[in-house]
Amino acid sequence: MPDLATTVGGLAMKTPIVLASGVVGYGTEYGGLIDLGAVGAIVTKTITLEPRTGNRPPRLRETAGGLLNAIGLENVGLATFLGEKLPEAAELKVPIVASIAGASPSEHATLAGRIGEQPAVAAIEVNISCPNVERPRNPVWADPEAAAAVVAATRGATGKTLLVKLSPNAADVLSVAEAAERAGADALVVANTLPAMRIDLDARAPSLGNVTGGLSGGALMPVNLALVWKVSEVVGIPLVGSGGIGCADDALEYLLAGASAVQVGTALFADPEVPTRIVEGLAGHMERDGVTAIGEYTGLAHKEGTTCGEMIRAG
Amino acid sequence: MGLGCESYLFTLAVEGPFPEPEPGQFVHLAASPALTLRRPFSVAGFPSPGTLDLLVELRGKGTRALSALSEGASIPLLGPLGNAFTPPEPGASAVLVAGGIGVAGLRYLATRLAGDGCPLLMLVGARTGDRLLTDLLPEPTDDGRVRLRVATDDGSAGSHGTVCDLFEEAARHLDSSPRTYCCGPPEMIEEAARIAGWAELRCEALLEEVMACGVGACRGCVVETRDGYRAVCSDGPVFDTRDLVFRGARDA
Repeated sequence: MPDLATTVGGLAMKTPIVLASGVVGYGTEYGGLIDLGAVGAIVTKTITLEPRTGNRPPRLRETAGGLLNAIGLENVGLATFLGEKLPEAAELKVPIVASIAGASPSEHATLAGRIGEQPAVAAIEVNISCPNVERPRNPVWADPEAAAAVVAATRGATGKTLLVKLSPNAADVLSVAEAAERAGADALVVANTLPAMRIDLDARAPSLGNVTGGLSGGALMPVNLALVWKVSEVVGIPLVGSGGIGCADDALEYLLAGASAVQVGTALFADPEVPTRIVEGLAGHMERDGVTAIGEYTGLAHKEGTTCGEMIRAG
Repeated sequence: MGLGCESYLFTLAVEGPFPEPEPGQFVHLAASPALTLRRPFSVAGFPSPGTLDLLVELRGKGTRALSALSEGASIPLLGPLGNAFTPPEPGASAVLVAGGIGVAGLRYLATRLAGDGCPLLMLVGARTGDRLLTDLLPEPTDDGRVRLRVATDDGSAGSHGTVCDLFEEAARHLDSSPRTYCCGPPEMIEEAARIAGWAELRCEALLEEVMACGVGACRGCVVETRDGYRAVCSDGPVFDTRDLVFRGARDA
């Protein structure tokens, strides 16, 4: 089988498949259902300083080609994460990326400092983009200066690889991406879910207790794919594509658009074996294309006037 | 097997190892590749090792996709998942309160308890007589060990009223302190919990919620309890009704 190993901003992974934050809890809940041999890294549920109870239910609503969720960053808080959850996750033999969210740059710095010093943590993902807890106006995810302040504070608190998860919902995502890069991000995750809602017709009321939730799944895939394409043209740091990836072909599209790795989330709900299927499918693509390193695909679709196959054959 | 009024009994043969489920547990089925989420179904019977009964009411896309499967079709299944009902103490009796398709969540328990010789009162309600799913429950016995009472909203079968009317009536005339179990629509569970509280009966409710992961990871299917939000998939689906916080279907 071809070598799918890749390194993203210092985070070395045996495959480019990352399990997205929020979907696999603190890493151990799925037990043996997910073949971790196919997984390059696991991103934990987002950790906040204090425990959070999350949003009132209902928190889920299926929609055409996707899912709305409004969990509201329910999590055990920093102390329990460090004392109970992380030691369990550390047994998994897969790099653990800790997702963090704070209410201010200094909270981010505290979280990144405490978590970054843990040997079991391979990298930190800064979640500036949860659609279900942010202030309604001028959210950090849409404000390059506010995002830069968060990233700079986090950067100053840890030497670990720092990923910043962008929102697809900013009017000017490119400026946020550039700001995050300048402030010290090692890689960008492009991107989180998109705010959306449905109405429960029986109740004549919003389906979700939080009214709106984040849209994920296949319906989001072309949206975030376009963002990867655009962001890859303005930043020099690697990108991790995220949004609606359910098969190897989806993953390959993200790589060709400019991603160096991908996150898989919602697709795990229907099929916990999806990482294995993606890895096998990508290996098949590499064999057919004569590609020996998965990184050769990254950004290949940007090369004007050349098809992927021609580029590869031309070396 | 069609049961009239859009309810079906499915029998599945599970490939691979499948431990004997406990009453209350569920399986998570990927009924169609077109659906983002799996669908949880209570184990409604375990007729033989590796064989599962599911009792399904056609309600939405998931249940319709399941009913559209042809005999012999194969679908992915996770399970058995979740916790289980607490069985009655040896010698104690049990009262089951099932509203509508809630029979699906209590049938396996009823079968087990009847098989164990536990004195059993089954209370079943439905909107109309043709929606009653009593044929799938253990046969009432002449010695009164297994008893059945039914109620319908329109009075077309059994007594005219709700299953909770039956439960309240039964709770007034108890000569012992049975374990009670309920499953059905949210408002029925709330009412059953109220009656159990008033009668000082231990009552467990099997809850239903939209689920994503099924294993406690995503925190999507939570219900409010006195200890905060708990995941129906992994902390439940069975909860002691004293622990549940009811706020009405949609509090303002």
